[in-house]
Amino acid sequence: MDLSAQYFSLEEICYATQNPSQTIIEIVNQGIVEPEGAGPETWLFNTQMISVTKRACRLHRDLEIDWSGIALAISLIEELDQLRDENQRLRKRLERFLDQ
Amino acid sequence: MDFQDYYKILSVAPDADSKTIKTAYRKLARKYHPDVSEHHEAEEKFKQIAEAYEVLKDPKKRAQYDELREHGGQGYRQEQTQGTSGQHYSQSSSDHGDFSDFFSSIFGGAYQPEEGAGAHGFSQQGFSSQRAARKGQDIETDMPIFLEDTLATSSKPISYSLPHRDAQGQVSQVNKTLNVKIPAGVAEGERIRLKGQGGQGLGDAPSGDLYLRIRLVPHPLFDVEAHNLILTVPLAPWEAALGTSLEAPTLSGKIKITIPANSQSGQRLRIKGKGLVRKQGHGDFYAVLKVVMPGSVSEESKQHWQQLADAAAFDPRMEWRQ
Repeated sequence: MDLSAQYFSLEEICYATQNPSQTIIEIVNQGIVEPEGAGPETWLFNTQMISVTKRACRLHRDLEIDWSGIALAISLIEELDQLRDENQRLRKRLERFLDQ
Repeated sequence: MDFQDYYKILSVAPDADSKTIKTAYRKLARKYHPDVSEHHEAEEKFKQIAEAYEVLKDPKKRAQYDELREHGGQGYRQEQTQGTSGQHYSQSSSDHGDFSDFFSSIFGGAYQPEEGAGAHGFSQQGFSSQRAARKGQDIETDMPIFLEDTLATSSKPISYSLPHRDAQGQVSQVNKTLNVKIPAGVAEGERIRLKGQGGQGLGDAPSGDLYLRIRLVPHPLFDVEAHNLILTVPLAPWEAALGTSLEAPTLSGKIKITIPANSQSGQRLRIKGKGLVRKQGHGDFYAVLKVVMPGSVSEESKQHWQQLADAAAFDPRMEWRQ
């Protein structure tokens, strides 16, 4: 299975996430994802950004929250995920340290 | 087929106004949205909630549904077996394209999310031609990877289920297995996209994509911190005091570690470049020292400890005395 083309242009991310370019531009303007490149014509998105974009769109649609609210929700969710992962890792290390 | 009580699902009275319904939906959606909720049945619950709202927010659909409900939902089973109406959900995202059979039986065949009705509006903005021929469903699934398998690019099989629509339009879940090339140096949470390996498209539209989320399987010996590998190294008290040299396992063979004299429990020793493979180079290996006591102490050992205690003049709780 070929894993090439793991970077996407604006047009490609629009197609992959089934969104118009206006939506993607709004998501970038809100800082929800930060593609490489100076402007929409040269933007390059990675796979991670596609997942975040899809998640943002689902939340926008299903929770009926505006984009700045989505930006806040996404950053809090990411922080929560990170803290949960870290907590789990530290717990595991603590167990190793305490158990014989 | 089970009758779905949409009012009950949204916990609203049958005569609730549209504002109440909206508020109830938003509240439940925030609680059970699969992107937010840790609830183990979040996805199924959210699908029910979204389906109930889809009907009750629309006066026409609601009137149609109310009529059926008034007649006691004739032709439908009445048990409230929420979420177990023979539906199989994939591990996919909540692009709620698969409402229940009950929904389809009232409002007709394959439901297409009305994204155009929300703020997406892509029906007016260049995707209108794809509404009849809609791209297939994207599938997201976890890909468990052993730490050992991140050292070199390897090929791994992944099995997942995805919706399949037959010639009659009946949708069922089918299992699919693919061999996926996992690049060396993948990290926890990283995503790999396999174009066209998701659900089949409607009409001439292409299939959806498969997104694999890398999950590093916990290792019996090693912990991971970014690309660094952490090994807890048990030491006898005299090894910590006098120093020693030992062989420690890594993911690729053994390495020699020198423990300096006077080492502390919890101390970290860094061995550069012996950690996980990165896209460029290697992470580091950390040996975390853990001083352990022997299980039982003989009479002779006890005497030695006593001699040490007398000679060492060491107060580990000095800080308490200030």
